[in-house]
Amino acid sequence: MMRYAAYAIVVAALLIVQMTWLARLTVGGAAPNPLQVLVMSVGLLHGSEEGALVGAGVGLLQDVVGGGPLGLGMLAELCVGFAAGLGERVIYMENIWLPVLGAVALSALHTAVWAAAAHLVGMLQAPILEVARVGALGACYNGLVAVPIFRGLRYVDMALVRGHEDSR
Amino acid sequence: MLFDAFVRRRRFVLLVMLCILSLAVLTDQIRSPGKRRIGWLGLAVEAALTPAAAGLSHATGIVAEGWTLVTEIGRLRSENARLAAEVARLREENARLQEAAEEAARLRGLLAFKEQPYRTVAARLIGRDPGHWFDTLLVDRGLADAIRRNDPVLTSEGLVGHVIETAGSWARVLLIQDPRSAVGVFVGKGRDAGVAEGQGQPVLRVRYLSRDADIHPGDAVVTAGLGEIYPRGLPVGTVVGVMRTEGELFQEAVVRPGADLSHVEEMLILVGGTPQVPR
Repeated sequence: MMRYAAYAIVVAALLIVQMTWLARLTVGGAAPNPLQVLVMSVGLLHGSEEGALVGAGVGLLQDVVGGGPLGLGMLAELCVGFAAGLGERVIYMENIWLPVLGAVALSALHTAVWAAAAHLVGMLQAPILEVARVGALGACYNGLVAVPIFRGLRYVDMALVRGHEDSR
Repeated sequence: MLFDAFVRRRRFVLLVMLCILSLAVLTDQIRSPGKRRIGWLGLAVEAALTPAAAGLSHATGIVAEGWTLVTEIGRLRSENARLAAEVARLREENARLQEAAEEAARLRGLLAFKEQPYRTVAARLIGRDPGHWFDTLLVDRGLADAIRRNDPVLTSEGLVGHVIETAGSWARVLLIQDPRSAVGVFVGKGRDAGVAEGQGQPVLRVRYLSRDADIHPGDAVVTAGLGEIYPRGLPVGTVVGVMRTEGELFQEAVVRPGADLSHVEEMLILVGGTPQVPR
């Protein structure tokens, strides 16, 4: 329960930073999405089910706060969380490149799911090459912010486990 | 047996259920931003996050202004001299315009022209949708300032969009370049009617223009006042391209919005107009 409360605080803080600061730091139309990296980290550390649930919640929250169509971000983020969770117990978590490569690959998945769903409901007006270009830039951006977020979340997890063990 | 299979594939069942749920939510309100209802939980989340976002945005603005002041001192001297000359020219122009305004007022009285029943509320940007494809802004005025759903939003350069959600001290503005936006417009001197649709990109596409309409790059585009949201005559932008396809009934125009929608920080909300739609 403590872990979810800690996650909620981290999500709220990242959401505010994303709305106010990161939305102004666009490069070629792409802005970093730290919440997507957070969903990836939860999936990698805690498995597919938790990744998908946290992804759905975070995605819906982004849709609500961001003003986009409700459900689009939810679908993309839950797929990211689920896919990341497939790597639990399969991938070596200490690998320094894991967050970077994971963020880049899962950003590509996010863009693909998002574009497919938007196309399905007739909301994708931009040419597919433009979507791919912005998606690729966003993936690189997410790769840059992935290491501190992944490490920070692992630190929070371990601190909570230590605190729980000490209290016994 | 069935239960065992369910337990074995639990995570995939969860994935499918969540996907179905998100698609159901999506298809319910996708093409109509008016149907977007975030509910009491969403309003509570917004109410919790907006003060912090407003504070952070304000602090960022102060830091940015301070930095700009420090870095631009050298430039301000030459700017000051240029502005002094500009003031002299504008004073002369102002005198001429005042005379013209008095004349217009007399003519308006003769024509019994009815003033638009709007007043304006100045609003500042708090946050924006970080995504590239949908364009909404969060501003620091809300129900407490009499802002209502569907109130038009503009800058001195042109139309920005309209309010789609509002609560105590914030409102969300759907920009005209969002793919969910459609504005009835008149194009050019011929005042040909069309619909300016957002593309999720810095230009709008005006559809349903008569094939015979004489439209050229540089023509002004203004709101037609035919819909239920925007009053007539608000500047929207300028035509930058015209597309005529052989065999098509209509032609289309590409329009660059007058307002700089990527960098808009302050804007005006028109409130108090006669409500034409349920709010």
